[in-house]
Amino acid sequence: MKEETSNNSRRKFLKSVGITVGAAGVVSGFSLLGAAKAAAQEPGETVNLLTQDGQLVQVDKNQLRPTVTGPLTELQKRGREGIAGKSFVMVIDLSKCRNARKCMAACQNHHQLRPDQHHINVLQMQDAEHTAPYFMPKPCQHCDNPPCTKVCPVDATFKRQDGIVLIDNERCIGCRFCIAACPYSARIFQWTEPKDAEKYKNLTYNIEANVPQKKGTVSKCLFSADRLRENKLPSCVSSCPNGVYYFGDQNEDAVTNGTTHETVRFSQLIKENAGYTLMPELGTKPRVYYLPPKNRAFEFNGDLLNEENLH
Amino acid sequence: MKNAIKIIASLFLLFVFTASVVNAQKWQAPVLSKKKQNPYEASTRNISSGKKIYNINCKSCHGDATMGNMLPLQPVAPSDLGSQAFLIQTDGEIYYKVNKGNGAMPTFEKTLSDEDKWMVITYLRSFDQNKKESKKIVEVKNPEVTDVKLLLDINNENKRILANLTGVTAKGDRVALQGIELSVKVKRNFGYLDISGDDAYTNEKGEVNVQFPEDLPGDREGHVNLLVKVTDDAYYGEVIVDRIASLGIPTNPVNPLDERAMWGTRANAPIWIIFSYVGGVICIWGVIFLVLFQLIQLPKLAKNKE
Ligand code: SF4
Ligand code: SF4
Repeated sequence: MKEETSNNSRRKFLKSVGITVGAAGVVSGFSLLGAAKAAAQEPGETVNLLTQDGQLVQVDKNQLRPTVTGPLTELQKRGREGIAGKSFVMVIDLSKCRNARKCMAACQNHHQLRPDQHHINVLQMQDAEHTAPYFMPKPCQHCDNPPCTKVCPVDATFKRQDGIVLIDNERCIGCRFCIAACPYSARIFQWTEPKDAEKYKNLTYNIEANVPQKKGTVSKCLFSADRLRENKLPSCVSSCPNGVYYFGDQNEDAVTNGTTHETVRFSQLIKENAGYTLMPELGTKPRVYYLPPKNRAFEFNGDLLNEENLH
Repeated sequence: MKNAIKIIASLFLLFVFTASVVNAQKWQAPVLSKKKQNPYEASTRNISSGKKIYNINCKSCHGDATMGNMLPLQPVAPSDLGSQAFLIQTDGEIYYKVNKGNGAMPTFEKTLSDEDKWMVITYLRSFDQNKKESKKIVEVKNPEVTDVKLLLDINNENKRILANLTGVTAKGDRVALQGIELSVKVKRNFGYLDISGDDAYTNEKGEVNVQFPEDLPGDREGHVNLLVKVTDDAYYGEVIVDRIASLGIPTNPVNPLDERAMWGTRANAPIWIIFSYVGGVICIWGVIFLVLFQLIQLPKLAKNKE
């Protein structure tokens, strides 16, 4: 008998804890719901609402926001599938790069990155002691045999039918296995709250731009998948002032230069200029091709942030 | 104290002065290079091919010639290459500068052929009001026409595109327009691929014959979106025809997700991985359960023995 009472009281206790936690959840849920708007607006009309546990509450109309789950899953679904019939490739002409860094700025702007975070980075290269140094922009290679997607334990990073490798920040648990697996160091980790976190916090998450960025998850170059949907060239490609980037659909065998808007045959461009991919011996089959830095349009100016280069 | 202020002030002035001198210092071509002459004549053909090369290589910074819509770069904005102030220079001077580059201006010594560079200079010279260096030569004179028509005849078998340009004269006759450049383009995802070749000028019958590339992919049925236009709108306004033609190679896009691969997510992991993984899990748990089962059986066995 005694035991039963103790049992009963335990159950009661658990019940009450459950209710308080649940209620706290509801309250905090509401406060989250309209925190931003309520601060900005005067209290206006109130509406009666039925909560999940059958309680009637009065809520300020200003505090109501449309639910984000609908469009979110829709975006994630189409973001996972990709654009049918396409096979995107990028060609980077190293002979024209002078470290203007406009691509990096445009990319950071597009993907809510701080100046020290890179989806694309212009590196100063020198292959051996007596070889000529050159500048090399390096985005994610969108490998056709990507080591990064193999190691993700939660299906957060994946390849789509148009060849682009993306990350779902809503799934990513931040284990960083993929960072370790990528041989091109293409991925970054959000150690702190991302830039302008306040400004972007009400935005619906877009898997094709990784915006808003999420603290504790991984991010990387996306070939501006959201822009490709509108038939626009990626941000870096269209912002380069020196005609370094070509981008296009391999199925059409054509790539378009972001600066001159000249469209050329992809196969010819690669063949005539001896195009190559980075570290082919790894078998990762990159989708980013490089044209060697010969017959340069600019003299190499060793200083990475040389004022004269920055235009 | 006063002295110190004076010194600082004079230093500042000196600094401003030198800076302005440095800025004002002009980009000079060596005297010898100025004498170089453009070996190409200012024919309409050369001018229009120069314009093409200009639009691809120079326009992104310098803007349209004479329009003054260059990129506002710092500290020195690119010059308007159609302005009279620029065209005061000799052909040789311009050629030198295009070759060498300066600051933000790239060198075109190796990226453009000599011929291309001279074509651009010929094109720019066509804006020169003094026309010192070269006169525009017009080879053919077409009559004044209205109702300009561009007709396409596509031969699917040998993949040739025949374009015919005609117009109606004041007397009401439809005549062929000669010596007009046409652009034949194929639509691609982010722009138009120019397939017109080097010599897409209408002949005396008003015709241009263009070979479609043998190996250019089309869609699943081989359809491509063709666009033919009179290159220079200055002649007859915008004359454009577009047409869907089955000239391309039928291409079935490959979906990499159709194949099961190691890099695939759970949904398309290779069968052998799924089997060996599931098999492994079953085996290990099986052994554990077997041991537990035996342990439970132990007391029973002992009882039975007794
Ligand atoms: S470059 Fe790195 S992150 Fe990009 S697809 Fe290849 S392995 Fe993955
Ligand atoms: S960090 Fe995120 S995307 Fe990368 S492997 Fe871990 S869960 Fe997957």
